[in-house]
Amino acid sequence: MVDLVQNTIDGMMIGSSYGLLALGFTVIFGVMRRLNLSYGPSIMIGAYIGTFLYVQLGVGPFAVAGAMVSGAAIAGIYVERLCFAPMQIGAGIASMVSSFAIWMQLEQAAILVLPRHTYPFPPLTTGALLEWGPFLLRPDHLIVFGSAVGLTAGIQIALYRTRFGLALRAIIDNPVAAHLVGINVRTAVMLAFAAASAIGGMAGFLVLAVDQQVTPMFGMWATLKGLIAMMIGGLGSIPGAIFGGLLLGVVETHSQWYFGPQIRDLTAYVVLFAFLLMRPSGLLGLPPAPDTASPQKR
Amino acid sequence: MDDYLIGVLSNIGVISFIALSAYVLLLTGEISFGQQAFFAIGAYAAGVATALWGWPLAIAIPWGAAIGAAAAVLVGVPTLRLHGLYFAIATLAFAEMVRILFELFRYQILVDGEWVGPNGTDGFGNIRYIFENDIDAFHFMLLIYALLVATLVGFMLLERSRLGVIFRMIGEDETLAGLQGVSVARHKVLAAGIAGALAGLGGGLYAHLTTYVEPRNFDVMLGVHSLAYGLIGGLGTAFGPLLGVLIDIGLLEAVRAVAGYRMIIFGGLVALLLIVRPRGLLDETVVHRIGQAWRLISART
Repeated sequence: MVDLVQNTIDGMMIGSSYGLLALGFTVIFGVMRRLNLSYGPSIMIGAYIGTFLYVQLGVGPFAVAGAMVSGAAIAGIYVERLCFAPMQIGAGIASMVSSFAIWMQLEQAAILVLPRHTYPFPPLTTGALLEWGPFLLRPDHLIVFGSAVGLTAGIQIALYRTRFGLALRAIIDNPVAAHLVGINVRTAVMLAFAAASAIGGMAGFLVLAVDQQVTPMFGMWATLKGLIAMMIGGLGSIPGAIFGGLLLGVVETHSQWYFGPQIRDLTAYVVLFAFLLMRPSGLLGLPPAPDTASPQKR
Repeated sequence: MDDYLIGVLSNIGVISFIALSAYVLLLTGEISFGQQAFFAIGAYAAGVATALWGWPLAIAIPWGAAIGAAAAVLVGVPTLRLHGLYFAIATLAFAEMVRILFELFRYQILVDGEWVGPNGTDGFGNIRYIFENDIDAFHFMLLIYALLVATLVGFMLLERSRLGVIFRMIGEDETLAGLQGVSVARHKVLAAGIAGALAGLGGGLYAHLTTYVEPRNFDVMLGVHSLAYGLIGGLGTAFGPLLGVLIDIGLLEAVRAVAGYRMIIFGGLVALLLIVRPRGLLDETVVHRIGQAWRLISART
């Protein structure tokens, strides 16, 4: 029983960073209706800039976080300009394949700058484990969870209480109508892309600060985890992304505890597959419209 | 021919099968991130058949293709109800499940005093059929290309047939195709089966070409690459994905001088190409124009 609760707590702590990853993904998918495979690699570029400063100049975690968020946002704008902005309507698959080509490019760029396989990443805190009855809490986990909750609240406010948020929701709802009421769709989409990549950068920072190391594989990892959590939670739903991330974290921690890392990854995909077959709309998403995200339509 | 060239050409030939596999589904308008699953299944099935059960290659390769097709149909029936991104992610999830299951899969028997067979993450080595039967690399390459040419002839017949038209019709507009009396579900499962068979065939050849396979060979990267080949080369003809493979593997091998920067150059070129030609180099329009020009020339002579 103690294990069960302890694993659930740990899972939710880790899952909160998955939720943030999924949140950035959802914002991009919402405004573009296209899949950005370079989402994770953009975050990885941010991480490499951060770890470069950490290794070379010895800067602290706050500076690394700032560098990582801005690096990811710049990489996100690069991807948007090259793979999404110039594509015609109806070329959704081309955008996706193009973002994959840029993924390869970003990965090689990262390896060129820092050629070793792994690099250290600064820890959030070196404080001792907190005891709470029979349960143990890692202080860095608490910071991750707290930051994720705070950021989610901030994003919710930005989307529902600001003019920019209103414009974005209008674009998500109907890009043509948004254009007709005078919203500058192209600029708003680019800013949304940058903001989403920055959210991803923050999520990536929290994950890496717990792991305390970074490899070029982190790009693929972030894309896959974000994608799984987004689909489980429900495509296009912001609370869904958070709950999808939490569920993924809890499921992974439990299966890791009982069966080891291979079964952990297997379980994550089994849960995703089962959701897609039985409830494609995920936990909180709307039922898929017949033509949403269909390659020939967008 | 020197060994290096034979190696590169064999590799291009084998990868062409998985590119064609993804292309079949692209024809029906579906994106799959998961064709590497059937490539892996074909590789393991054919490898087990020759190395463990002592089957001849001529039976093991079709066996790999058949198992690949059967697996694709089994997965296709439930997943093809999904569309677009949902289908793409479902294939990705399935392929990763298959990869992890191969990491856990152990099945070894003693062959000539040596344990042979799939051994989890340590992979599956000693698929030595072509050495034991004195088939040299050149002749194996000829076998790969003979099968590839046969497949391409099949594709050319398909494109002229009613079935090919139906596939493209479904890809263009599923609802409209259904309204014209086409059984959409049945044809999509058929397309998935053909795609699975092609991937399984390629997988079987791959296992015998490299003599060693491990689950890591069949990760998401392979799947996304095989999808990208069709998009780069063009969706108008089966030669499109081949051109994609040729550009990727061939060109990259040719420019080894810039080894450290090759993905930076290649990735950027592909991104720029897709802006100008979103359906690839040999898209439907180009193929149609070539066809017209050809008819014009042959009518004059």
